[in-house]
Amino acid sequence: MSQRVPRWLAAPAIAGVALLLVYPTIYLVALALTKSSLAKPLNHFTGLDNFSGAFASPAFTPSLWKSTIFAVVVAVVTTLLGLAIAVLLRHRGGGFGVVGALFLLPLVTAPVLVGVAWKLLLAPVGGGFANLFKAIGLEGFNPLGSGVGAFVVLLVIHVWQWTPFATLIAFAALGVVRPELLESARIDGATPWRTFTTVTWPAIAPSIWVVVVLELVIGYKVFDVLVVITAGGPGFSTSLSPFVIYQTGLRGSFDMGTAAAQTLVFGVVVGAVATVVTALRARAVKADA
Amino acid sequence: MAFAPALAACGSEGSTTALSTTAPTGGRFDDVTLKLLVNQPHVTSFRDVLAPKWKDATGGILEVTAAPYDQLTSKQILDVQSGTGEFDVFDYFYFGLGDLVEAGALTDLTGWIDANGDKIGTSGYLKSIYDPYTLLDGKRYGLPYDGDVHILFYNAELFDRYKVAPPTTWDEYDDVAAKITTDAKGSAYGAIVSGQQVPMILGCSYINRLTGYGGNLLDANGKPELTSDASVAALNHLVKVSPAALPTPLQIGFDQANTAFLSGQGAMLDTWTDMALRAEDPTASKIAGKWGALSLPVGGANTTPRTALDAGFGLGISTATKNQDAASAFIAWATAAPQNLVVSSTPGAGIDPARGEVLDSDGYAKVVTKAIGPIREGLNGNPLVWPKTAGAPQLLQGLVDQIALAVNGTQTVQQSLENSQNQWDKALA
Repeated sequence: MSQRVPRWLAAPAIAGVALLLVYPTIYLVALALTKSSLAKPLNHFTGLDNFSGAFASPAFTPSLWKSTIFAVVVAVVTTLLGLAIAVLLRHRGGGFGVVGALFLLPLVTAPVLVGVAWKLLLAPVGGGFANLFKAIGLEGFNPLGSGVGAFVVLLVIHVWQWTPFATLIAFAALGVVRPELLESARIDGATPWRTFTTVTWPAIAPSIWVVVVLELVIGYKVFDVLVVITAGGPGFSTSLSPFVIYQTGLRGSFDMGTAAAQTLVFGVVVGAVATVVTALRARAVKADA
Repeated sequence: MAFAPALAACGSEGSTTALSTTAPTGGRFDDVTLKLLVNQPHVTSFRDVLAPKWKDATGGILEVTAAPYDQLTSKQILDVQSGTGEFDVFDYFYFGLGDLVEAGALTDLTGWIDANGDKIGTSGYLKSIYDPYTLLDGKRYGLPYDGDVHILFYNAELFDRYKVAPPTTWDEYDDVAAKITTDAKGSAYGAIVSGQQVPMILGCSYINRLTGYGGNLLDANGKPELTSDASVAALNHLVKVSPAALPTPLQIGFDQANTAFLSGQGAMLDTWTDMALRAEDPTASKIAGKWGALSLPVGGANTTPRTALDAGFGLGISTATKNQDAASAFIAWATAAPQNLVVSSTPGAGIDPARGEVLDSDGYAKVVTKAIGPIREGLNGNPLVWPKTAGAPQLLQGLVDQIALAVNGTQTVQQSLENSQNQWDKALA
C-alpha cells in the first residue's frame, strides 16, 4: 500500500534552491545585462555590452586559458601524487597514522598563511630559498621574477597544498579493496603493477575520478594564494579568472556589470571542462566495471 | 530583453546631502562616539595621536577602523550603499573622490566651508593640495589631511662607500644605481624601485619619472597624453633601471621597499616624505643619521624638479552619519594646524603636512631634518595631480597593468603606452 507524500513537504527544499541558486543566478544575469557598479547596481540595461567589455579586457580572455591549464595540470598531478602517497601509506600497513596526519598539514593551513609563508621563502632578498639558490650557483635567481616562473611556482604551491586531499580520499578508497583478491593475485604470480591495474584500480576508479573532478574545480577556484604571492603578476602572467573577476568588480571603478559577465563566461568554461571530465569518468568507470 | 525596463527601474542613484552652513566647527561632544574608517597606514595618527587629544578637547570618543589602502574606497562605498552606515568620517583617497561622490557616500561641504572658512582656517591649507583633494565639479567634499608627495631618499653611507654623488637627473640616477649594484656584489642594491602592480605603488614610480621628464597624465584640456616623449622616457627608465634595482621591482611593495631602505640594503628610494621620520628613528632604522633626501630627479629637456600628488587624503563626512555635528567639528579640528603639526611630526603616523603653517614651521623642519628642503620644494610647487573623476581608479589600474607588461618585457614600452592611451581616450571621451 503506497502513501502519498504531501507536496508541501518539498517547500523547504524548493525555497532553499530558490534562495541559494535561482535568485543569485537571476541577479547575476541581471547585473551582466546592465550598467552596474558597486555604488549603482542595475543602473540601466546595456544588452551584451558587458560581455564585449569582458572580452575587451586584456587580462580576461587569456585568463580563461590560464585557469584551464592550471586546473587541468593540478587535477592530474595532485591526483597522481595523492594516489601514489596513499598506496605507499597502505603498503606500509596500519591506519593513516602520524605520517598521514603530517601529510594533511598543508591542507588544513589557511590559504593566506600558505601564501605568506611561501612568499617569505621565495623573497629574492633575505628569503628562505635565497641562500639555497646562492649555494647552488643561482645567486639572484627569482622564480617569481618571470611570468612562466611565477606560474610554475603557483602550480607547485597549489599541488603541495591540495595533494593531501587526494591522498585522503585515495587512502579511504584503497581500504575497500578486498584483501583476499590481492592475496589471490599475489599467489597467482601477478606483478604489483598488474595487481594494481587489474584488481585495485577497478575498485577505486570511481573514487579517484571524483578526486579528479574535485581537484579540477578547486584548481579553477584558486585565489587566496595567488593574491598573496603574485597578485596576478608579473604583468598578467598569473592573472587567473577568479582574480581578474575580483579586480573588475571590486577594484578600480567597481564594474559589477562586467564582472558578472565575466563570471557567467567563466562559469560556462568551467562547466564545459567539468562536463568533459565527468563524461570521461563515466566512460572509464563503465569500462572498468 | 523584455525585463530591461524593470531592471532599469531597480537602479539606485547615489544621492549627496549637503552639510548645513550652521554645522559646528568645534564644541563639546561628551561621550559621543565618532566612527572613522581610515587608511591602514594612518591608524597611528588617529588612534594613538588624535583620539586622546579629541577626548581631552571635546569629551568625544574616536573609534578607528582601518582598511587596507587597496580596499579603502570600496569599503567606504559599501558602508553607505549597503545601508549599514556604520561610519561617520571617511579618510579618503583623493583619486577615489569621483567614485565616492558618484556613490553618494560623501556629504557636500561646500556651503559649510564657505560659511566657516575663517574658523576652519581654509587659507592655511596648502594651495597645491587643497583643491585637488577636496574639490570636484565645483563642490567640496572634504578637508585635506595628508599632503602626500614623493621625494628621493638616499643612503649617504652607501654613497660614500661607493664614491658616488647624489643624482639630480634620472641619467645620473641610473649611473649611481648601476655602480652600487655592481660594486656591492649582492650586499646592497643601487636602487629600490617599487613596482607592485597597483596605482599606489607602480603608478607612483612611473608618475615620478613622468614629472621628472616634464610630462603630464592629462593635458590642459583633460585629454590623456600617455604617448608623449616624456611618458615614453619615463617608462623606458623604469624598464632599464630594473637590472640594477633590488630584485624584482614588480614584486616590491611598501614593506619590501621600506625594509630594504631602512636596513641599508638599498641606496635610493623615491617615496613619501614621512620616510624622513622613519629613517631617523633608531628603533626602526639602521641608517639613522646616514641618509639624505633630494627632490625627484629631472630628465630629458626638463630641468625643473617637480613632484606629484602620489596618493593623498582628505577627511570627509559620510552621508550615512548619525553624528553630523560631531563629525563636522572633528574634521575641522583634525585638519587644523596644531593637529596637523603633531601627526606630521609623529614617526609611524604616516602623515605629511596639509597646511602651509606646518610645512613652514620650525617644529616640522626639526623632525624631518635633511628632507625639509625637497619637501617644501615639492609641496610649495606645482605637483602633478592624478585624475579623480568617477572611474579614475580603474583608469589608473589599467595604466599600471600596461606598465607592468613593459617592465616585465611582455610587450614594448610603446605598445604599453599606446594601449593605455586608447583606454584613457575611450574612457575620458
